[in-house]
Amino acid sequence: MIHKRVLWSSKFILPAIKQAFIKLNPLFLWRNIIMFVVEVGAAATLIIAAMHFFAGIPYNFDLYISIWLWFTVLFANFAESLAEGKGKAQAESLKHGRSDVYAQRVKPDTESEVESVPALMLKKGDIVIITDGMMIPSDGEIIEGVALIDESAITGESAPVVREAGGDKTGVTGGTKVLSGTIKVEIRTNPGETFIDQMIGMIESSKRQKTPNEVALEIFLISSMILFIVVIITLFLFGVYLDFKISTTVLIALLVCLIPTTIGGLLPAIGIAGMDRLLSYNVIALNGRAVEAAGDVNVVLLDKTGTITLGNRLATEFIAAPGITEKELARFAMLSSLADDTPEGRSIVILAKEKLQIHGRDIRSPVGAKFIGFRAETRMSGIDVNEVLAKLYFRQR
Amino acid sequence: MLGTWLFQIVTLLFLLTACAFFLGEYMAKVFAGERTFISPILAPVENFLYKLFGIDPNEDMNWKTFAMNVIFFIFVGMIALFFLLRMQDSLPLNLNNFKAIRWDAAINAAISFVTNSDWQPYKSEAVMSYLTRMLGMGLQNFLSAATGMAVAVALINAFVRKNTPGIGNFWVYLTRSIIYVLLPLSIVLSLFLVSQGSIANLNPYVHIKTLEGKEQIIAQGPAAPQIAIKQLGTSGGGFFAANSAHPYENPTPITDYVNILALLLIAAAFPFAFGALIKDRSQGWAIFIAMMLLFIIGLWFVIWSELHGNPLLTKLGIHNGVNMEGKEVRFGPLASAFFANSATATSAGAASSSYDSLMPLTGIVLIFNMAIGEVIFGGVGSGFIGMMFYVMLTMFLIGLMIGRSPEVYGKKLEAYEMIMIVSALFLPCALQLILSAIAVSISAGTSSLGNPTFHGLSEVIYAYASGVGNNGSAFAGLKADTPFYNLTIAFAMLAGYLITIIPALAVAGSITQKNSSPLATRFPTNRPLFILVLVGIIFIIGALTFFPALVLGPVVEHLYILSGKTF
Repeated sequence: MIHKRVLWSSKFILPAIKQAFIKLNPLFLWRNIIMFVVEVGAAATLIIAAMHFFAGIPYNFDLYISIWLWFTVLFANFAESLAEGKGKAQAESLKHGRSDVYAQRVKPDTESEVESVPALMLKKGDIVIITDGMMIPSDGEIIEGVALIDESAITGESAPVVREAGGDKTGVTGGTKVLSGTIKVEIRTNPGETFIDQMIGMIESSKRQKTPNEVALEIFLISSMILFIVVIITLFLFGVYLDFKISTTVLIALLVCLIPTTIGGLLPAIGIAGMDRLLSYNVIALNGRAVEAAGDVNVVLLDKTGTITLGNRLATEFIAAPGITEKELARFAMLSSLADDTPEGRSIVILAKEKLQIHGRDIRSPVGAKFIGFRAETRMSGIDVNEVLAKLYFRQR
Repeated sequence: MLGTWLFQIVTLLFLLTACAFFLGEYMAKVFAGERTFISPILAPVENFLYKLFGIDPNEDMNWKTFAMNVIFFIFVGMIALFFLLRMQDSLPLNLNNFKAIRWDAAINAAISFVTNSDWQPYKSEAVMSYLTRMLGMGLQNFLSAATGMAVAVALINAFVRKNTPGIGNFWVYLTRSIIYVLLPLSIVLSLFLVSQGSIANLNPYVHIKTLEGKEQIIAQGPAAPQIAIKQLGTSGGGFFAANSAHPYENPTPITDYVNILALLLIAAAFPFAFGALIKDRSQGWAIFIAMMLLFIIGLWFVIWSELHGNPLLTKLGIHNGVNMEGKEVRFGPLASAFFANSATATSAGAASSSYDSLMPLTGIVLIFNMAIGEVIFGGVGSGFIGMMFYVMLTMFLIGLMIGRSPEVYGKKLEAYEMIMIVSALFLPCALQLILSAIAVSISAGTSSLGNPTFHGLSEVIYAYASGVGNNGSAFAGLKADTPFYNLTIAFAMLAGYLITIIPALAVAGSITQKNSSPLATRFPTNRPLFILVLVGIIFIIGALTFFPALVLGPVVEHLYILSGKTF
């Protein structure tokens, strides 16, 4: 993170001053319409001052107003450049971190010949080979092989997961790590679309997405500016009617006082500063809406499985059908779940013991019965008892 | 004199608060479709009207359907009124054989009454037949007021509901506004006015010989019922040209008192109805208090300015220089000023004195009341709508200041709402300035001015502020019954009306579809801080927009008077 005190170093100040002048170009300033109007006013008063100078009329007032307006524009540009400079520096450091990752890309038109390329260079459709201990360079899909992948960086789940070609478990995410196995991955995103690219894009103001409030505020600012231009023009016409000559310089000065110059000038800088502040809390905003959502956050609740919730389905109640008692149901549910070691199965046994008030040692399997263990393929568990025994068992109750 | 007056004003404002509170609760019940004490009589009437017009009262309209129905209704009313005015010479009840109204004046009058403005550049008792005034003006006073109320209810609905596109049924709200609220109140008020000496007849005009031996004609007519609705419905179109200064309209000090109360009553009840409908009455109180604060500030300024008087008159030996010219001499300058402030703060535009003769600074307050969009109580319904736009703008700015997503009463405010808010608040301001500037720049406009100087400028600005704000009062002195003023002011009234109502419905349509955020996360909109920020924002926007122009009109006039000059 870049600290505040560094902001005032010449590293940021000098380029910002230079940028402030470059941004006087109306073609750039056009994007910030309020500052553009101030600049037009500054230019107009300067021309008036020059005309008065050559005509030998007092020109001091016009010149002062003009200088004042030029400084207003320059200051707004400076603030924006300074914020931009800070944002750029952060983007650079992010980019720098990422260029360390290299990927083994399969050369086009070959089967297994590989070349080492920076992760930044990978395009959609590229095929990379990833082996034990390597980072997955970008988002993609496994087209060959099986691997055990540590996805804790994204999901927070510490247990590694299996991802393999074919079926619905083929997706891998950039930034996760292969623990064992070798896979061939087809990259599915272009550079600039990945998660970290979006983040850099947000920081650099040129690609910065405007936040919804910024859009709404701009509507307010621009429309109030138009209203005040109307105020000034009509004021001029009222003056004409009353034979009251109001000088153009005075009208321009009044206009700049009326329009929301301060907020209009600082708005771009404020936008960048908002993003910076989030980053200093280690929050990464992927779009403008997220920046504002972050402002509304009071408390962050993190629910990692196992901390507050169990993440397992547990039996809590037996609901018996008509004609069967709860105890009967509990007994048979317990017998059929004895061979089921999934969390659901175990919880049924525990609940049944509680309801029947028996201990593990009291449980006897019916003679001649055969347990069926739970398997993922069958998705069932149970117990086979022959008819005679079942009837005997019923009579015991 | 002052002490008595302050006492009367304070009691009136307390009485207003109490009446408005109970009326608001009652209106909330009416618009929520609940039964009230009066339902056994009125519910059959209501259902009969739905059957008669083929309305399905259970239909829930989205905002576009709602808006189309409103616009359709307004235009039908306008066209009907236009033809009534053009053909009054061949219709019955034209006892004085008045001619058809000139086309430009007819357009102006049609728009003016349909938009609840009641701008009257003519003398109605001298040009309009009884039928025109009953079937045209009287009817539209009800319908235009009820239209404003229906739209306001739709906007309130948007905050009550969530995740649904519907904002209610225009025809149902229209019908209920008329038969549950406007009709019963105006019957009571008109009976009261008659008891005080106001008239209601269809007799021919009375010709009498005065003591000087000259002949005088005294206009008659069904006045009392129309006076009642023009006050209650804040349309303000007088039955007689002198409006509430006419003894038949405002016979006694008691009617003056009651008339002021009637002007403010329904508009002031809307915040309470809002509070009751969103089931948080403190929100209604907050809006009411904000309106009341602005009202009292304006009133204080008006009273101060009138009492301060004119140093020129003091020199002539008049006590304190209080200007009585053009005032309601029966009730005094303060009563006149109080009435004027009430009539411009609400969009009524009724008048008990000649506003032209008020002190210049009083004029500023009156123009300000209208120019900010008639939100200090405002028109019935429309005043509340305007206030809600300011509330939304305030909450947007507050949201930015405290670094939260802006929301109002739990509904998020986004770019779409912002577009509607700024069009509803800024377009009318821009429109009235532009029209005033055009009027003073071309000869068709300047030739009508009674006082072609600073005061003339005040007159023109006042006329368009009154038109765009759908107020309808006038700084007399401007000869406005010319094609230029008739048409431009008609345009101002229609545009001012539509750019309030359509954005209001659009915002309602957008907000009703949003989910509501939990109460705990909101900025409290029922605390003094919010009220102060709201009042401040209304004041700042009004001041920034209009003071440059007002400085050239009333302020210069005031300075001239102080320095003892006349012009």
